[in-house]
Amino acid sequence: MTPGSYLPGHFLPVAIFLFVGIAVGVGMLVFSRLVSPRRPYREKLMTYESGITPFSDAHQKFSIRYYIIAMLFLIFDIEAVFLYPWAVAYDRIGLYGLVEMVIFIIILLVGYVYAWKKGALEWE
Amino acid sequence: MVPLSWYVLLSAALFTIGVVGVLSRRNVFIILMSIELMLNAANINLIAFSHYLQNLTGQIFVIFVITVAAAEAAVALALIILLARNRGTVYVDEFNLLKG
Amino acid sequence: MINQLIFAYFAAVIVVSAVLVITRKNPVHSVMFMLLLFFHIAGVFVLLNAEFLAAVQLIVYAGAILILFLFVVILLSVERESQAARANRFWPWLAGFGLIIAGEIALLVLRGSFPGEGKMAVQVAGAGVRDLGVVLYSKFLVPFEISSVILLVGLIGAVMLAKKKTNE
Repeated sequence: MTPGSYLPGHFLPVAIFLFVGIAVGVGMLVFSRLVSPRRPYREKLMTYESGITPFSDAHQKFSIRYYIIAMLFLIFDIEAVFLYPWAVAYDRIGLYGLVEMVIFIIILLVGYVYAWKKGALEWE
Repeated sequence: MVPLSWYVLLSAALFTIGVVGVLSRRNVFIILMSIELMLNAANINLIAFSHYLQNLTGQIFVIFVITVAAAEAAVALALIILLARNRGTVYVDEFNLLKG
Repeated sequence: MINQLIFAYFAAVIVVSAVLVITRKNPVHSVMFMLLLFFHIAGVFVLLNAEFLAAVQLIVYAGAILILFLFVVILLSVERESQAARANRFWPWLAGFGLIIAGEIALLVLRGSFPGEGKMAVQVAGAGVRDLGVVLYSKFLVPFEISSVILLVGLIGAVMLAKKKTNE
């Protein structure tokens, strides 16, 4: 088999799953739009706030803490990406690979300790 | 069968769209996203060559590209938050003061 | 034939959503089209027998980097965006410039040839995570350690910049 004609056949279930998932979601929206009666007026279109009339815009500013948490997640997500092939190939790289990975984790641990000491992990 | 040149053309198209986005948009978020577009174009190219030449180096390079993209996004977005808080705008042509 | 159809679908969606990313007025819409784009790029990776990287593309790009973008777009409210011009005044020239560059690259690629293209046989098991790990942790030792330093710099820089403002 040459590269141009390689076909990942074992991904066919994934493709079917994605297709069915999207079809069910879109189908529900389209079907309810077609079938249900729609007589909107102002109160009906208002955002539901447990029965209280909304008094401000929903587009309010987020706290910067969300950014810090998402950023920490991103950095350690990358670390997990590096850990995965290491764990799978561990029996073929052995002690050498273990030392490499320990150095890698120690370097990232410095950043973790820094973030901790700076109070980036606290919500208050 | 899909020739290698199709993947290279796709990557070139994506890269060019990214370049035009960086040069023409005013919103600094869209500029950063265009940079991500260009990195993804490079990734497609690397993986296509890796597959057609049956050499894993291209795939490993893509992991490093993604690492750099993540670090870059983290720092760049922190800078954007500070710039936007200090200047009150996210448009690059309004960041015209060197010191202020 | 079926390969060509699948590739054409992925390529068409990638190019169209990339154009939509750089032309939408609302950055949140741009982020959503970027998500669509990343999913289809992951599809291209699967087509190129890079399954681990397709997963990484979804987990890191769609799951973390894009969420970070979304948080920051929401963090800085974007109400002014709807009135302001979205591109600078040179954009028609730049779009033409982009078309010329893309045409030049297309001409070069279509008239040239790639040595060894499509000659080698695919080892389907040869591109698994295991082989990737073996090559990554034996041949690419130094880049791997340097990437941890890059991540450390990114982490410290981002925490420093973001915390400075909230302490005041």
